Amino acid sequence: MTSNNPSAFLLMVNGQIEGANFPEYDDMYCKYCFVYGHDWAPTSGLEEGISQITSKGNGSQNLVWNFPIDITFKSTNPFGWPQIVVSVFGPDTFGNDVVRGYGAVHIPFTPGKHTKTIPMFVPESTSRLQKFTSWLMGRRPEFTDPKVVAQGEGREVTRVRSQGFVKLQFNVVTKDMKKLGYDTTST
Amino acid sequence: MAEVHIIGQIIGATGFPQNSLFCKWGVHTGGAWRLLSGLKEGQTQVDMPQIGDMAYWSHPIDLHYTTKGLQGWPKLHLQVWHQDPFGRCQLYGYGYCHVPSNPGQHRLQCTTWRPLGSLQDQLAQIFVGGGPQLRTPDLIYSGADRYRLHTVAMGTVELELSVILRYFDRYGVET
Repeated sequence: MTSNNPSAFLLMVNGQIEGANFPEYDDMYCKYCFVYGHDWAPTSGLEEGISQITSKGNGSQNLVWNFPIDITFKSTNPFGWPQIVVSVFGPDTFGNDVVRGYGAVHIPFTPGKHTKTIPMFVPESTSRLQKFTSWLMGRRPEFTDPKVVAQGEGREVTRVRSQGFVKLQFNVVTKDMKKLGYDTTST
Repeated sequence: MAEVHIIGQIIGATGFPQNSLFCKWGVHTGGAWRLLSGLKEGQTQVDMPQIGDMAYWSHPIDLHYTTKGLQGWPKLHLQVWHQDPFGRCQLYGYGYCHVPSNPGQHRLQCTTWRPLGSLQDQLAQIFVGGGPQLRTPDLIYSGADRYRLHTVAMGTVELELSVILRYFDRYGVET
């Protein structure tokens, strides 16, 4: 099934959200979604997902999700290369569900196996009073749309605090990028 | 015409005297280059790290250039600023690095420097903050008029950039 003049290339990604490292928090779950440009379209696989709730084991500081990711994209242009946006949530002292971090990273560009550790950050309250009331009421500052984390515009007005890391593993396969003239690795 | 895609992230900064940093960045190219899509300048979020020393921005960069020549290969220039709890901004460093010219994924460390003023300026800076800044930011990435400048080293900015080239082999360019 070889096409002599392909008009689009395919990007197939599979992998997992392996786990996280948050020294101060426990009992967390994560959500992921993909952000991509106008020229991209997912052809198969799930674009979003929610994981299980995990706790730190005995003597280990690691939180493990082992959450599978499997998606294929089709595109005519590398501009708008897909990014995975991960949001992590957990309970606060009163038991409310609050956001513990947002993070985003581009899907790797070269075929092969890749491991990425991404920093996770939360928006900061503007004043100390707001910080106290949000702690008391359980309603912390959040982004209305987590996809903001994958964009460059409008970020200059946000103040955030980074407080953990999430480890991801990817296996990437591309099809027809060379035929369309794109070089992703040095020859 | 050949095309270049620069896709990646400004990951963060480390080695600065205080955290609560943000970065203003821009990409400068020569006359033969034309930007087809993407934003060629921007400003990151302000990050106050809770663990460790590194401030994380994870700011995405996605640029699509088309070019008729190799001169003026894109240069990424940065200004690292510090925001204090009162909301005042102070310059912490200038830096630049060339976008890598071979396709693939690259991890870059961009060193930064800050202009050093006279002894009175330095003393005032300890108490009040502020400090000398460049009048025109193109001195960050050009070597033309630098000999009169006296600077001091500041921290490093980490970037991860991937370069995808298209049709470069048609023109006989080896990368």
